[in-house]
Amino acid sequence: MARNSIGLVLNAHMPYIRHPEYSRFLEEDWLFEAIGETYLPLLRMLKKLRDDGVKFKITISLSPTLCTMLSDPILQGRFTDYLRLHQELGEKEVARCASEDTDCLELAKMYLDAITKNLEEYFETYQCNILSGFRDLEDSGHVELITTTATHAYLPLFSEYPSAIGAQIELAVQSHINHFKKRPKGFWLPECGYFPGLEEYLQREEIEFFQLSAQALVLAEEPPVRGNYAPVSCPNGVFGFARDFHLTNLVWSNVEGYPTDSSYREFYRDIGYDLPMEYIRPYIHEPEVRVFTGFKYHAITGKGNDKRHYVPAEAKVKVSEHADNFLYTAKRKGEDLSVQLDRQPFHTLAFDAELFGHWWFEGIDWLETVLRRASESGDVVFETQLDYLQRYPEAQVLQPSLSSWGEGGYSDVWTDGANVWIYRHLHKAIERMEELAIRFPDQNSLKKRFLNQAAREVLLAMASDWPFIIHNGTSAAYAEKRLRNHLGNFNVVYENMCKNAVNTEWLVKAEKQNIVFPDIDYNMFNLNSVRNRYNG
Amino acid sequence: MITPNIEALSLGELRYIARKQGVEDAEVMDREDLLESLQELYEELESGLSGEGISYSPSTQQRFMNSLVEHLDKQSMGMLPGVEQLPESYTETRIHLLLKNPYWAHAYWSVCPQDLLKLEQACDSFEFFLRVTMHGTSDQKQVEESYDIEIGKGDGCWNINLPERGRVYSVSLHYRDMKEGTGQLCQSDTVTTPKSWYLDHVEQLGGDERNFNLFFSALVTKGGVMVENPLLNEIVERLDQSMGG
Repeated sequence: MARNSIGLVLNAHMPYIRHPEYSRFLEEDWLFEAIGETYLPLLRMLKKLRDDGVKFKITISLSPTLCTMLSDPILQGRFTDYLRLHQELGEKEVARCASEDTDCLELAKMYLDAITKNLEEYFETYQCNILSGFRDLEDSGHVELITTTATHAYLPLFSEYPSAIGAQIELAVQSHINHFKKRPKGFWLPECGYFPGLEEYLQREEIEFFQLSAQALVLAEEPPVRGNYAPVSCPNGVFGFARDFHLTNLVWSNVEGYPTDSSYREFYRDIGYDLPMEYIRPYIHEPEVRVFTGFKYHAITGKGNDKRHYVPAEAKVKVSEHADNFLYTAKRKGEDLSVQLDRQPFHTLAFDAELFGHWWFEGIDWLETVLRRASESGDVVFETQLDYLQRYPEAQVLQPSLSSWGEGGYSDVWTDGANVWIYRHLHKAIERMEELAIRFPDQNSLKKRFLNQAAREVLLAMASDWPFIIHNGTSAAYAEKRLRNHLGNFNVVYENMCKNAVNTEWLVKAEKQNIVFPDIDYNMFNLNSVRNRYNG
Repeated sequence: MITPNIEALSLGELRYIARKQGVEDAEVMDREDLLESLQELYEELESGLSGEGISYSPSTQQRFMNSLVEHLDKQSMGMLPGVEQLPESYTETRIHLLLKNPYWAHAYWSVCPQDLLKLEQACDSFEFFLRVTMHGTSDQKQVEESYDIEIGKGDGCWNINLPERGRVYSVSLHYRDMKEGTGQLCQSDTVTTPKSWYLDHVEQLGGDERNFNLFFSALVTKGGVMVENPLLNEIVERLDQSMGG
């Protein structure tokens, strides 16, 4: 019987957003929603599968900026406040629905229960740091944890700047070791952004594999003999796994994916937007800025605004059907491929983790059902890229093609008319950072801190999140401000160092504001430095 | 299309959304008029979306920031610590070339004031142009070719069409004075457009079922829509032609 291997990779990432200067900050909610709706329920589900003896293994990429924020005491405290505020709203909703919106009462109770469970687990199981949950799953052999670039930079647009690419990758590995006491073996390329030669940087950090977009192999300069159904070995021996767009698209498509089923919960309909201001005011942002609260009572229904109420029992039936459909499709595909391949096919499924639970409310239930039924049947096996490589260490040597998973398959999303202006400044900042690292190598004390802060600011400015948000048009003002402020901060250091001066007051403030990467060493921007010669 | 329940929004919010949607006189309209205008607008958008010819992408992916926070008033964002002003350009004469995709690149440049002054002193009148060079290769018998793009003195960036795949390109900034004298100010690093083996071997797809399945089965949705990619589209077009349409 043909056995299909599925390598599921979940990319958990949030841009570095931390504003202790405000009592509440709207964009920090992105992190809190992700913890409450995706990360905690995902951990809960995976542990339940483990406890039930279900055989599975998946790969999760946790970005360095996310790990930093999940470990940050200030953000941990703010997440607790966020949960308590929503618990209060839940209690208020249960009372309101009981008297005036009885159709929604069970849903209000469901949300309140979920929040209460999150609060309990966040404190009692994880002592406010959920990274321990991921570590635990890795220790038991159910999850392979990997990393991604330090600030989720999209690398093809920096291919002219080896120091910046090297810094993004080296710092990411360092950050992973700090958080998980282990060197990662796999690497998530942000936005599946690859350019030929990128594997050289990965090899320097002892990375063994990375994921690619669906077209990266079939558009290479040589034909891939096994299509996307087996990894290729780059000329330097690092393995690349291309996504299976067909299987991925069963889930991740806003047109025909499972999450678009009319029975599933509607994401955009939320009491934060639907209830009167005087009622919802304490639970949104000042001054009267409506936001999602997570209390959503409607099913997708159809394209229009006229929505029917969400019925979890109906959604549960769909989850079961969609899990079966997915496994059936994967099995059938494997049977078709078995006559064409000299080995069992490997399907790479790569998703943003936040699709499950946050965007697709039932996504975690779907994943649980898929993993459970796959384990029972044995037709489809969820295993990691490393497991597959152990079984099939031989791979075709092939140089993948320039590619990304963005619209159009290349760099268009990050270089559109609205955001392409940023590269003039980003590239200049990198060049100036290289200049500083060469002019002032191996500094001590204040100058070292000053230069380290400059390196932090350059790396934070390189995050792919900012051009993506600008491209997307939502929260664009915030993204542009962040970019300008990081670049502006860098320029403060550059101008001061050109005068051989350190602005101490500014430095203390900047360090407090952006405390990411405590171990950063600005010398990584000096390609001639002793440390880089040793590494290279 | 999902829209907020506008009945529940405050007057300020309605005005903000109306302004963003381009409703004229939103500032002076009362609540009833705003509701009516927005309702009409949403109905128009709804009918437009359900009409024919609307392109959609099955690969469009929801990312975390696709939320409705755009309704946030920009003034409240202004409470962040001072927003940094960045220079329009830097005091250097330099040009960069960024590859957007196999068919297009983006060039950006700056001319330092001293170089500009020298030019103004040396020439009565001059203009700038870009020269896009497709570099030759001896092994593949490709000859060097170039073409020029007229630009304005105030321009600082340009999107450049790249005619051939698998070629090495650079772009240089030039000036031309009234006496038809020209000179180069700066040249970019090179970029290489990707090429695909299958682009020149579509017969390997058309005539071989195994290759065809291996190639397409991981690239096409259950609804038959192929992953978005211009190079893939070109392969499909050539395949179509080779198979007689």
